[in-house]
Amino acid sequence: MIISSLVSRPVRTLVSILAVALEVTLILVIVGLTTGILAESNGRIVGVGADIMLQPQNSSMFLGLSSAPMPVSIGTKIVAQIPGVKAVSPVLTQTNSDGGIETVFGIEPVSFQAIGGPLRWVQGGLFVDNHDVVVDDIYATTKNVSVGNEVQILNQRFRVAGIVEHGRGARVYLPLQAAQEMTGAIDRASLFFIKTNSDQDVEPVMSQLAVKLEGYRLTRMRELVSLMSTNNIPGLNYFIQTVVFIAVCVGVLVIFLSMYTTITERTREIGILRSLGASKGYVVRLIFFESFMICILGVGLGLIGSKVVKSFVIMVFPTLTVMFTPTWIFRAALFAILSGLIGSFYPSLKAAAQDPIEALAYE
Amino acid sequence: MKAILETVDLRKTYRIGTVEVEALRGVNIQLREGELTAVMGPSGCGKSTLMHLLGAMTKPSGGKVLIDGQDIAELNDRQRTEIRRKKIGFVFQKFNLLPTLTARANINLARYLHGQSLKNDQHLTELLRMLMIEEKMGRKPSELSGGEQQRVAIARAVVNRPSILLADEPTGALDSKNSEIVLNMFRELNRKFKQTIVLVTHNPELATFTDRLIEMRDGQVVHDSGPVTLDADRELQPASRSI
Repeated sequence: MIISSLVSRPVRTLVSILAVALEVTLILVIVGLTTGILAESNGRIVGVGADIMLQPQNSSMFLGLSSAPMPVSIGTKIVAQIPGVKAVSPVLTQTNSDGGIETVFGIEPVSFQAIGGPLRWVQGGLFVDNHDVVVDDIYATTKNVSVGNEVQILNQRFRVAGIVEHGRGARVYLPLQAAQEMTGAIDRASLFFIKTNSDQDVEPVMSQLAVKLEGYRLTRMRELVSLMSTNNIPGLNYFIQTVVFIAVCVGVLVIFLSMYTTITERTREIGILRSLGASKGYVVRLIFFESFMICILGVGLGLIGSKVVKSFVIMVFPTLTVMFTPTWIFRAALFAILSGLIGSFYPSLKAAAQDPIEALAYE
Repeated sequence: MKAILETVDLRKTYRIGTVEVEALRGVNIQLREGELTAVMGPSGCGKSTLMHLLGAMTKPSGGKVLIDGQDIAELNDRQRTEIRRKKIGFVFQKFNLLPTLTARANINLARYLHGQSLKNDQHLTELLRMLMIEEKMGRKPSELSGGEQQRVAIARAVVNRPSILLADEPTGALDSKNSEIVLNMFRELNRKFKQTIVLVTHNPELATFTDRLIEMRDGQVVHDSGPVTLDADRELQPASRSI
């Protein structure tokens, strides 16, 4: 009876399914984008290969937003004075907004490779002068550039000297000196990546750094992933909650309208059911199951829709990452089904409360 | 034979806006098991209200309705629903089949609500054969003639072997040929399955098909031909009898 009812009103059924699918897609894509971008960004930072990150006081956890108040000479002193330190690499971070937003690293190639090993070259090699940049393969594919091409970064033209495999901190690398000159922060760095001789040295090195550089921010790279979760990004959780709330509201309202319309259309049917001995509970269950079916179909279509949107996003913006975690797939499905049940609650009660005689007389 | 349906000083008042309308004003009847009764009267005399009360669809404003000895005035909605499900079958003038379901699904719905297995059983097979709708089971109501729809509605009403069958103007939407077929069906059902059948009508000729005639006017019974001696082996009325 539920299936025949859904099939006999194809437009209403389809619109309801699409609305639930939209709800699921909206939740999954928005959450997938935020968590995906964060995870990908975390992965790249961890991919630098450092054990500790040293930043100045009150620096942002978004690396590209940090200024450059630390003298580069701090790095030399750390290597010289703190036992257990293998290498220190100063990095000056900038945010490039030419043709998209990405973090640019001003690096010293030697110390940077001493931290995480040699860069893996896809094409070309290191900077020859301060007008050269190195980009990663994703950036090169997205911008359709190869070695020798010019790119605009931080409002200046640079020649692409080399293309490296992605996953080592940034997508674009400048010579540290060039980055310092562009920002007027001569001999300054935004952060230092520190590599210790062994895992056992990490804690002692951090303790000594905390004493010698009191007030500086020290982050153990292993902890960075948890620090950069949605829970620790100011406002991100509220943003996700707002999106989920709006999506659920859309689902509730559409199911409500759909079920409210259907029980009005089917008043006489409900009267017939009641005359046949169907209990109020049966009528409530009937409406609930109908909306449940719509939601299940909507969830299925929403999952397919989310994958399609994900493919489209990645095709248009290859630097973005959309990540669907099992937890959020489950949550999106649960929210969709809950919104269906909430939306059909009042219509189902209204249907069950109909007087069978009046319902049978309904034209 | 014991009375399966009984009303005692039955009253029903409807409120329409601020006006109270007395649809039934002290109806006293007793219907015995296996009786085929016609309730007749002009439009608005209260016969449909009486049928709704006899079918436990609503509660009386006063008096009693005893269905198999149970006073429905004392029952809540759930208990009245259970009585409808277990003891009563309804046939309506407008057939009231569910339009999205096939004839078979309409009949099976009643069986499902009754808690029966949906497999074909001998009773159903016999019923469909008797009503001559075996070949129509896969069709939706819109694909059936009025007479066929009413026969499906009758099958749905009696498939669970209710002890009482209530029919409200069952031939009201049918032509004379189909009316005759349907009335003969009621006769045969009454004879074969010993069901108590109450036909509500304003058509005086239909009453000639029944054992007993109750006439109503202005919410009261004005004539009751009274119970007749029921002969289990009585002959069917001739099919050619005009109505």
